[in-house]
Amino acid sequence: MRDLTPSPALVSAGEDFPAVLRRHGAYPEPALATGVAANPVLIPTQATTILAFKFSGGVLVAGDRRATAGNTVVYDRADKVIEIDRHSLMAIAGVPATAWEMARVLEHSFQFFRRTQLQEMSLDGKVRALSKLLRDNLALVMQGVGMVAPIFAAFDTVSNQPRVYFYDALGAQFEVADFAATGSGSPAVRSVLHYENRWGKHPLRELKEPEALELALRSLETAAESDTATGGFDRRTGVYPIVKIIAAGGIVTIADDQLARLYRTRILR
Amino acid sequence: MTEEPFRWVEAIANRREYIEHQLASGSPIVALGYEGGALLLTFSRDRRKIFEIYDRIAVGAIGHPGDIERLRMTAIEVASTEGFTRSAQDVSLRRLAHYSLSPLLKNAFEQIYGPPFLARLLFVELGENGSPDLFLCLDYDGAIQASHSGFGGAQERFGVLGASVAATEAMSRWLAEKGKSVPDLKAALQLALEAWAVGHLQSVDDAVKPSDVEIQEHLKEQQAASSIEAMVLEKNAPPHLACRILAKTELDELLKSF
Repeated sequence: MRDLTPSPALVSAGEDFPAVLRRHGAYPEPALATGVAANPVLIPTQATTILAFKFSGGVLVAGDRRATAGNTVVYDRADKVIEIDRHSLMAIAGVPATAWEMARVLEHSFQFFRRTQLQEMSLDGKVRALSKLLRDNLALVMQGVGMVAPIFAAFDTVSNQPRVYFYDALGAQFEVADFAATGSGSPAVRSVLHYENRWGKHPLRELKEPEALELALRSLETAAESDTATGGFDRRTGVYPIVKIIAAGGIVTIADDQLARLYRTRILR
Repeated sequence: MTEEPFRWVEAIANRREYIEHQLASGSPIVALGYEGGALLLTFSRDRRKIFEIYDRIAVGAIGHPGDIERLRMTAIEVASTEGFTRSAQDVSLRRLAHYSLSPLLKNAFEQIYGPPFLARLLFVELGENGSPDLFLCLDYDGAIQASHSGFGGAQERFGVLGASVAATEAMSRWLAEKGKSVPDLKAALQLALEAWAVGHLQSVDDAVKPSDVEIQEHLKEQQAASSIEAMVLEKNAPPHLACRILAKTELDELLKSF
């Protein structure tokens, strides 16, 4: 019979959830970074262009729906903005397999911590948890597989303000002052958001929700213009980008009919 | 020990007596189903006794805090690992108790040279898609007592855990009589508090069938001496957040007319 008694270390220090999973044989050990060259035959699926910015109503996070492998469109309804818990979101650009796995581990880690330690993990702890997962993934990234560039957005219920972070391939976290965008279409989005933030009618922080939504959708359309891997609005299938807003009360997903109305009136003209 | 099987039986009997004695002064736990979910309730003075295990599973415990902690950790680990590798819907209390926790407890109890778990647990699992809530008692020797077997037919809409067998039976009889319909949380709280008093009076005073007045008196004493610890498992809650400890303000509000 499997020995189910938790190890003494668990009782005192509190292992993190990935370590618990490894002990049960349910999660792979982090691979060692070797010098193996990238395999040119394997073309991984990539998911691209996500953006996040702070506005008057909290944080807005948006992502397009296209997933490509090389120049093949693999999927047009990819979900790139994932709710982790009541006040945090992870938006992913890069390989969906790795990114969705990370989001799933994070989601379960935060619940595991809350249940075993009887208190909610601090926001800093949550930000670091994603950082650790990216760090463990480094070996695969160096082999050319599994690169993930996420944005982590959360509402800090302690200081009562929204916070946004983006990460590099090694897992360093960078706190964002106003906006962030990652993915192959991100240079265009970053340029648009910078322009609007600096010389637009209002800086991003002061935008009301309808204007913020409009800006997010227009930025994604701009990215879709020049980047083949970013999907704009597809009239034929009626698939809209995913847009979520985090505020003090929780996470709201903007409904398709609201997005449809915005497209009709403010974007497709 | 195998050369003297009688000694082994004697050792087990001694062990049982010892553990029952250790558990005899615990505060009982009452669990009730109501229209919107389920309630777990107890009085606790210096430590928590009611914990969340997984999305729709919670537990109340009597016994040694160290052993309760180990069992709680094991349950959360097993449930969380299964929820991750398969899915949250695949986690079930029946399997957690029967396949993981019961063998663990029985093993520890029967290994004469090792320590047993000085703990008794009452688990509650919210039923999904109209199936009934499951109330399951797990004893220090691995024995399981559940509110229904899963084959349909007779089922109880409550679970009780007393410090002694007599206390458990007293509460069970009382609730079988009085707990026919529980419309809302307010009614569940009142019923659970009274059932708790019945169980506590049995272990503390050996009172066989206390009157309503005695019950109210005892509850007043206890509310002054310790505090109500209550957790609700709500049916229509957002994912992962079905289990909720009732804050003091909410409790005061619900018990205002009581």
